[in-house]
Amino acid sequence: MGYIAARGGTNAILNAELLVEYMRLQGQSTPIALDQIRDQMRAAVGRAMNEGALYAPELAALALKQSEGDSIEASFLLRAYRSTLQRVMPTIPAEGTAIRCMRRISASFKDIPGGQMLGPSQDYQIRMLNSLLTNESHADIQRVIDAHATLAAESDCDPQAIGHFSKVVDYMRQEGFVSMRHDDEADEPFDITRTALTFPCRRSARLQSLAQGDTGCLLTYAYSSVRGYGDAHPTLAELRFGLMPVEVAHPMTGEPICIGEIVVTECEIVSKAHSVAHASDKPQFQLGYGFTFGHCEVKAMSMAILDSVLTQAKLNGLSGESGPAANEEFVLLHSDGIEASGFTAHYKLPHYVTFEADLKVLDRATEHVQSQALQAHVAPVASGKDTP
Amino acid sequence: MASPTYVLSQCPSASVCAIAAQALDYVTPHTIEMISGPKVAMVQLRLKESVAETVFNAGEVLVTETRLELNGTFGFGMIVGNQPEFSTALALIDALLRIPGEHTVLLEEQIACLAAELQHRQHAQFAASNSTKVEFDTF
Repeated sequence: MGYIAARGGTNAILNAELLVEYMRLQGQSTPIALDQIRDQMRAAVGRAMNEGALYAPELAALALKQSEGDSIEASFLLRAYRSTLQRVMPTIPAEGTAIRCMRRISASFKDIPGGQMLGPSQDYQIRMLNSLLTNESHADIQRVIDAHATLAAESDCDPQAIGHFSKVVDYMRQEGFVSMRHDDEADEPFDITRTALTFPCRRSARLQSLAQGDTGCLLTYAYSSVRGYGDAHPTLAELRFGLMPVEVAHPMTGEPICIGEIVVTECEIVSKAHSVAHASDKPQFQLGYGFTFGHCEVKAMSMAILDSVLTQAKLNGLSGESGPAANEEFVLLHSDGIEASGFTAHYKLPHYVTFEADLKVLDRATEHVQSQALQAHVAPVASGKDTP
Repeated sequence: MASPTYVLSQCPSASVCAIAAQALDYVTPHTIEMISGPKVAMVQLRLKESVAETVFNAGEVLVTETRLELNGTFGFGMIVGNQPEFSTALALIDALLRIPGEHTVLLEEQIACLAAELQHRQHAQFAASNSTKVEFDTF
């Protein structure tokens, strides 16, 4: 039996594509509209956007429909589309203080300037399937819209307030709990879409890489460090979810102009006090930063935990076990879901020539082992001694 | 007070197109030369994070960009998403605000009205979130 390279299969491939469409549509249910996915699958849309590194809710909805809900495939489609677009300019650096918060919490202090606001969250609910959603109607939708309007009307907050808050970490800095360390990077941040990562890498490269990392992967690494294969002891300094304005410089005047708002999640993680790196330094907390497009709290927190662990590892400031999550090269080179899934999936494609070479190696190895065994058997006979 | 571009970017496309068309009627005669667009493109989102103030690239944002000249005056419009009419209207308003005339007063008045409506909308959205404000007690 021989193994050779393959060619052809065009019709089979075209038919395979048709079967994919058939599998999606065979139930003959009502086609899903993109606005339904965009509005009612917010978490999936957010994940596709941040892992695809392209903020485009309508296209993310299309990608999710095309991929039948596969988050990695959806982000792959977005990233592929991204490569066809011209990048016209960078934005003016945005800051989290500009976010119009719909949710803003801290696990470090119960009283924070501006107060804690739970916002849209299921954190405090029992995880039970809601059978009422099975037959949701337009009347149900209207009921929720009306209830939201009532909440807004009954609120007694400042009539000028629209959700801007100071940062909890700024308060912690004022109190001297955390370092005032400023980054010493050059003005132009590293761009992993233009230059391959090399290690040790700049912090801007790390943050860009983590921001487009696979949620499950970042969660696993962060969890490993928290659970025992590392030294992370995180507490949530602040998590905020809301709308962040984006500004660019006017091409003629250079003045900032706003081009809209985007839905984002941002958080800071504070880690336990230590002074391991420099014994003479004042003991302070370490911080980590997380940011995602969309409403993706677990990913933002995982990113912040990893940022904190990697910063401490670089400063030689880990007081306990470092663990795999403290290895920057390991974490950043394996956390991109699109690269990882692409590399794994490519093993499904024909490898006939490669495997034929493997077979030949196996044959030679088998012959070698057999000849070694034969020599071992013959040698004692030739020397006139009995075998044991 | 929110900037005019912030107010316009937060309003419905139809409202912005309407005030651009209305202001354009005041500039007669007028010629519009499209330099580029409206085209779908990307801007790279730069973020100054709050831990060490590192500026990093947080991803791309899909935008529509328009560059034009209105009676020889440059106009630039950009908006998040695939919104060609919105982008063109913003470019026209950008140029119109640079051309002297009574239309600038009209535009400023209309943007002020839109700003008031926006403030009301954004406050209502925040007020609903504010109803989830909590004060935790420790045992």
